[in-house]
Amino acid sequence: MTQRSITHPFGKKRRLHERVIETILFLFALFSIMITVGIAVILIRESFLFFSTPEVTLVGFFTGKTWQPMIDMFGFLPLLNATITTSVIAMLFAIPLGLFVAIYLAEYATDKVRGRLKPILEVLAGIPTIVYGYFALTFMTPLLRSIFGQETVEIYNTASAGLVIGILVLPMIATMAEDAISAVPKELRLAGLALGGTPIETTFRVVIPAALSGLSATFLLALSRAIGETMIVALAAGAGPNMTFNPFEAAETITGYIVRISGGDVSYNSVDYNSIFALGLVLFIITFTLNLISRKVSSLFYQEYE
Amino acid sequence: MKRLSIIVLMVITLVSLSAAGKSESENVATSAFSWIEGTEVEGLPGVNPLKVSGNIITAGSSTVYPLSERMAERFKEEGYSGVITIDSIGSGAGFERFTVSGETDISNASRGIKASEIEDAKEIGRNPIEFRVGTDALAVVVSKENTFIKNATMEELGKIFSTATLWSDVNPSYPDEPIQRFIPGTDSGTFDYFAEEVFSKNPEPMLAASHLQLSEDDNILVQGIKGSPYAIGYFGYAYYNENADSLNILNINGIEASKANVDNNSYPLARPLFLYSDAEIMKSKPQVAAFLDFYLSYVNEEVVGVGYFPANEDELNKARQAWLDATQGAY
Repeated sequence: MTQRSITHPFGKKRRLHERVIETILFLFALFSIMITVGIAVILIRESFLFFSTPEVTLVGFFTGKTWQPMIDMFGFLPLLNATITTSVIAMLFAIPLGLFVAIYLAEYATDKVRGRLKPILEVLAGIPTIVYGYFALTFMTPLLRSIFGQETVEIYNTASAGLVIGILVLPMIATMAEDAISAVPKELRLAGLALGGTPIETTFRVVIPAALSGLSATFLLALSRAIGETMIVALAAGAGPNMTFNPFEAAETITGYIVRISGGDVSYNSVDYNSIFALGLVLFIITFTLNLISRKVSSLFYQEYE
Repeated sequence: MKRLSIIVLMVITLVSLSAAGKSESENVATSAFSWIEGTEVEGLPGVNPLKVSGNIITAGSSTVYPLSERMAERFKEEGYSGVITIDSIGSGAGFERFTVSGETDISNASRGIKASEIEDAKEIGRNPIEFRVGTDALAVVVSKENTFIKNATMEELGKIFSTATLWSDVNPSYPDEPIQRFIPGTDSGTFDYFAEEVFSKNPEPMLAASHLQLSEDDNILVQGIKGSPYAIGYFGYAYYNENADSLNILNINGIEASKANVDNNSYPLARPLFLYSDAEIMKSKPQVAAFLDFYLSYVNEEVVGVGYFPANEDELNKARQAWLDATQGAY
């Protein structure tokens, strides 16, 4: 904390109650950091238990193609593969759509239209994810099955879950991307237009590149949200690890497995139970790294405009 | 420094407060069996649910769940004022909570308790008592859209749920389509029972199968099996009963899952349903004893409606006798 440059008008020291408030606020900040540290410590400790099981090897864990802890198969690739599949599908759906929504809102929409559209987007963001899960199962899956055929699309499949995760992160991408685009100074737009650019050219050649730092940070955050999403995949993606690249087949993601096991499938002292902490740690590391990269990226591309 | 001592003081007060709350609830729990009223039913003292209060915590088999839920509802309708929780988490996980962490008062199970689980229970000072409450005919089901399979032998079941990849691997007259399997999770009593009956206690081939979905939630299995003509799965009869309009049940070795065939033991996948509790719990928490009394008195009136079959009368009487032995001297 740096020394404040504002001095009290009467030259007095800061009053006592101000310092008390400051301390309390600091304690709250400390508290939230402690919680994060606590979670990390527990995850690491419990995963250590898992990796110290004689049947488990680090190499086997990261390269094995079968995950079935009950029969000593500890390859987590099928789970990771399913997580990547659902997230990539979600991003393929949400990034273009969210970006266009953001461009429309920031560059083209009148204040009146924006005032109507934004609350609707926010409603979308407020829907509980379990509702999205049932939406995937009872709407998206039947839709996919009617398009691609009952034979090709299984009742539980990663495509349906991925698309609905896309819908889930859409409002997040749209609002954050809109902020990033709106932060681009007006002078740049005017300059673009003055040089003879059409509005579309100005948007795509000038404004979007200028907003790149904020946009990439947005996409990375959305990606880490998609990777961590649980309820939708638990309901719609499938309940058995399956090494497949076919998005119409059922496959269990990392989060899906964790929720199935912690929901009571397995006894506390078993390897299965310990395995969810190891998987949780992997998940934590992935999303943590993505968030770090996203911060880095936004400062890397960041340009000061005068 | 001063602030620190205040915080320490607050923590101490909180801890002692919560400790006081605990001892208070224990005091209430040791009161007598004041709920006994009216005439005896099936040899057990009459229960007046109006006089029963206090919470009951149960967990375990998803197969027993619908039956326990029905009994708990009836118990509440007749006046029970406490809260009864029934977690549907699988027999194994239920026993875990009952015998290791000791969180539950009653454990629901679709298989008998294992010797190792009794050991665990003894370590925390519990002696599990078994109460037989009904019989389930484990249902092997396919979607209504499936037109090719009506019957399976035990041997065919062994292939269907393990090594066979395509339906035609089981029987050349079946289609060349992959078998999609939907089975209960590994901690489920139903899973254990099936492994025992079909795979002589070795679950490995079942878990190594392709296209395998495991879930402790039988409704997820139902959804999955409904979803494809090439899907197959198994679970307690009640879940078939509830979804009979969209599922077909297979005959096993040519024998239909019916009351007659369950009664005369000819249906190969008929199995007992149990509740487990402990004499100390029943004595110190009279509401648990009351609920078990109520359960054993009226279970036969509800069991068929839920979709299971009444247990053999001798077995039920044995359970009632176990209740009387456990509560001896408590009232």
